[in-house]
Amino acid sequence: MDFQLSTILFLPLLASATIVLFMRECKWSGAVISVGSAGISLIVALTAIFSSAPADVYKTGFELFKLGSFSMDFGFLFDSLTRNMLFVVCFVGFLIHVFSVGYMNDDSAKSRFFAGLSFFMFSMTGIVLASNLFMMFLFWELVGFSSYALIAHYADTPMAREASKKAFIVNRVGDFGFLLGIIFCQSLLGTTNFSELAQIFQADPTKASTAMGLLIMCGFLGKSAQFPLHVWLADAMAGPTPVSALIHAATMVAAGVFMMVRLSTIGFLTPCVLDTVAILCAMMAFLASLWALGQSDIKKILAYSTLAHLGLMGVGVGIGCELAMFHLTTHAFFKATLFLVAGSIIHACHHEQDIFKMGGIFKRMPITSLVALIASLSIIAIPFFSGYYSKEAILTSAYAKAQVGSVFDNIVFWLVMGGAVLTPIYMGRLFFNVFLGAPNSETAQKAKESSLFMTIPLVILAIYSLGGGWSFVSNMLWADGKMDCLIPTSATLFIERAFTVRTELLEKVSGIHTLETIALISTILGIVVAYILYGRTKGYDIVEKKLPFLYEALNKHGWFDDIYNWYVAKVQQRIATFLATFVDLLLVELLIVRGLGIVSSVLGYGFKRMHDVSANSQVKWLVGGVIVLLILIFA
Amino acid sequence: MEMNEICKILINASVYAPIMGAVLLAIFFPFFGNRGARVVGVGASIISFVSAIVLWFEFAGNYSVGITFVSTPLLFDIPLPPLGVNAISMPMLALAGIVGLASALWASRTDIGNARLYFLLLLVMQGGLMGAFATTNVLWMYMFHEFALVPTFVATILWGGAGKRMASMQMAIYLTLGALVSLVGIIALYAQLNATDFNLYSLAVALAKSPLSAGWQYKIFGLLMFGLGTLVSLFPFYSWAPRAYSAAPTSFAMLHAGVLKKFGLYVLIQVGLPFLAGGCLDWSKVMAILALFNVIFIGLVTMAQKDLKLMISYSSVAHMGLCFLGIATMSVLGIGGAILLMFGHGVSVALLFMLSNAIVNRSGQWDMSQMGGLYKQTPVLASFFLAGTLASLGLPMFANFWGELTILTSLWDFSPVICALGATGLVISAIYGLRAFANIFMGSPSEKLSLKIRSIEDLNWKEKLSAVVLLSALVFVGFCPSSITESLNANLSQLLTTTIQSK
Repeated sequence: MDFQLSTILFLPLLASATIVLFMRECKWSGAVISVGSAGISLIVALTAIFSSAPADVYKTGFELFKLGSFSMDFGFLFDSLTRNMLFVVCFVGFLIHVFSVGYMNDDSAKSRFFAGLSFFMFSMTGIVLASNLFMMFLFWELVGFSSYALIAHYADTPMAREASKKAFIVNRVGDFGFLLGIIFCQSLLGTTNFSELAQIFQADPTKASTAMGLLIMCGFLGKSAQFPLHVWLADAMAGPTPVSALIHAATMVAAGVFMMVRLSTIGFLTPCVLDTVAILCAMMAFLASLWALGQSDIKKILAYSTLAHLGLMGVGVGIGCELAMFHLTTHAFFKATLFLVAGSIIHACHHEQDIFKMGGIFKRMPITSLVALIASLSIIAIPFFSGYYSKEAILTSAYAKAQVGSVFDNIVFWLVMGGAVLTPIYMGRLFFNVFLGAPNSETAQKAKESSLFMTIPLVILAIYSLGGGWSFVSNMLWADGKMDCLIPTSATLFIERAFTVRTELLEKVSGIHTLETIALISTILGIVVAYILYGRTKGYDIVEKKLPFLYEALNKHGWFDDIYNWYVAKVQQRIATFLATFVDLLLVELLIVRGLGIVSSVLGYGFKRMHDVSANSQVKWLVGGVIVLLILIFA
Repeated sequence: MEMNEICKILINASVYAPIMGAVLLAIFFPFFGNRGARVVGVGASIISFVSAIVLWFEFAGNYSVGITFVSTPLLFDIPLPPLGVNAISMPMLALAGIVGLASALWASRTDIGNARLYFLLLLVMQGGLMGAFATTNVLWMYMFHEFALVPTFVATILWGGAGKRMASMQMAIYLTLGALVSLVGIIALYAQLNATDFNLYSLAVALAKSPLSAGWQYKIFGLLMFGLGTLVSLFPFYSWAPRAYSAAPTSFAMLHAGVLKKFGLYVLIQVGLPFLAGGCLDWSKVMAILALFNVIFIGLVTMAQKDLKLMISYSSVAHMGLCFLGIATMSVLGIGGAILLMFGHGVSVALLFMLSNAIVNRSGQWDMSQMGGLYKQTPVLASFFLAGTLASLGLPMFANFWGELTILTSLWDFSPVICALGATGLVISAIYGLRAFANIFMGSPSEKLSLKIRSIEDLNWKEKLSAVVLLSALVFVGFCPSSITESLNANLSQLLTTTIQSK
């Protein structure tokens, strides 16, 4: 098992290093190595998952170094939660690797791209397998770097240049709190190992501290782009579309949720922390859905949708961590699909990203469009599609909690409900404009179905967007019980076990079925509204035309960027410039250092003047000296 | 021959190879051409490098607590400085060897006027550095340090860039004063302990016989802290560093910022901690607060810099703050972290100085906002520079990460507030580091640069070689921190328990 896990982790690193060192100039070999490593990783991951029973927990680790009482351990924790996440990362990751081969075929820096992708797989699996918080932090930083490097792929565009920097720095702000939380934990409890922490909290739940949890939460807010650190994700769309699919939708941004789930299962997070997470994320679930209505770039719409769904997962963390993991899994499938669909269309339309310049894609790209339809139905939570199960679970649980909880819980529920109603509207807006009607530009006119490298991963992901959720809610065991519908059984246990319990509990809550019906009706109403508003207009946004100020407000997404830009340019940079010019240059360098220099040279000049060698002055000194001597003797 | 004997020869070789090279160049000065000087210079630093690396691996493999590979060579019956290494000096010696080789390699490819003199000075400097870290005699540490210091002044005057006179004058005054103050401290320590000589061992024996009074510990540590602090550019005695580094010729800037600057910290750990633990404890809060100024104040000043070399110089001043914070905690973790960061920072800042010189030479610009879009022309240079930047902002897989991580971890027990303030350095260094990279390499070239951007070439193989030497050292320790920490842990644990007992 050790060997298998190490292979999954280090093979992509090896691939990345090989590409960087030897294949920078090569055209295709980088892609071959990278896709190959992702494929082998997936196979090894699957064998590791298949060979372990659902409840198996495999722990291993060795000490990387030790200084005093601190020892840095490098180890794996391979339990049902790890298996779930590992399956998502390796499976979706591999498919996106394959897709990238088709998507990047006309790119001049393929090797750099694939090296980055492999490096990302390395750092992401590191987070998944990590057995302690310090190791998780290590890989946490590394995914931050891979995200930076991949956003910066089109480095000569000003957008990529700013977005990459922004992503890394905003994440660093979150990591600042995260690291302090980890250090706090190490100092307070003497360990950051998850299994040891679990024992500590089991013995004494009061050892979990809210301050510690809130600090660690900062890491989650940064990585999963939640308020107030959400500003980087929409800009991160400057990277190539497969990167947006893999890193900024399916896996890396979900790493924050994964970390919170991991900590939540061991009892690390106090109710206060969980409530904070829930309210912050519920806000994002609603607001981001709203903001998605103000975007015309297909990737930005999806990015805001990702923000909203990450918010939904955050609410899941707040009410019950298996819900978050459930939504993380289904979201990874359908959102990766949607991004790849977007990629496929953007590729076919020669890098046109404005949805109002597309249109009529259904006729020109039937496979892509069908896949898009399935994923869209999944994301807006139509029954039997995978997104339905996870979203409904969060909604009903939030409802159940609001029934017995405080006003905060009620706010959380209504925000989630609002987000759920808005989803069909923004997805409908996207779908009707892109796929239906007549093409609105020449590039859309000439769009053709993409190559097999792109369509095959799309079709596979579409199957999972449809049926990925069945693994968790039904008992369709295949292959001697090794496969639970579409997902290996030992990877579904974490969600399934808790989920079954939760469903039973929810059955007892009054009005839960009414809520389900209302949610479904409002989803359908949402589609109708979307059709009425956006379905019949071609090439423009009706809100933009009729209510420009409202569109502006949505488009500006709460003016957060303006506020932060103002802070950076007008506050932070001005303080820095003030310190550099006035304090450092003027005060220290000129006034003190040069000032002392001038004082000593003036003094020196004075002394020099007194010691000229004329007879006159020598007589004066002699007489003066004699007088001083006489005074000293007689006084 | 036994390995121990070989190691004793190697430790001598590492110190005396550059010195012999310098002597050779000096005696036969007229007979050397530029090419001959290069061969001698690079050859001597290769010997130093190889010996230091072999010593490092041998030491990491079977270290012992205390000083090993002790030897006192004789020259015509005159005893030369006693040599030997312990867990604290070993990484520093390796650092000096690595950066020394890289700077000699770098110098060998650049067209410098009067290469003979350049290499002569460079070898004197490297000999001094190797000696300072290899000797066990505190007075000799000081003398070797002066040896290494003087060539920087001369070289800055002769080959320096803009503002070289003022910069080297300022540096000369600051560093001489700082060194003098610390010399007073060293002599006071020796006198108060009634030791037979300045050897670390004799000092320890004397300390065991008669402990120092708390008052003297306080005074002497204060002298050492401010004296050595000036050498390391501790706030508020930092203002020599940025100007001096940006004016100094590249090889000297690399050695000075990368290695020589660490000398102050090194003596503080090697001498200050074991003999003046009580003094260190009394001063630790002051030291921590001054160090926070380095991290935050200088960090913000760095953010405002437009000149590439000044930016890197300021950033190196800012990073020294974390090392001081590690020492202030007086814990195995903090001091170990300080040594890891000293190593990592030394290598990464040398790499950055080297590459920034390459960038400035190619683009003809100092101002970062006047660059842009260079990565298309120079992908290798861009990746090396990015690696250096990421290392210095503490990304995992590089040595610096372990240093910053351990120092911050140790700081929490010292004071959570100071820990949090110190950790802001993580964000600040990311801001200026990535901003610089984006300005230089990404986007489109500025108007001035776009005229000549086609003619800009990537690094040649010699330049790549010196960058690879530095980068592999960073990555090696990044993946295998135990190569430094294992022996450190044993040594520091023993050192701190004995000093705490004696308090």
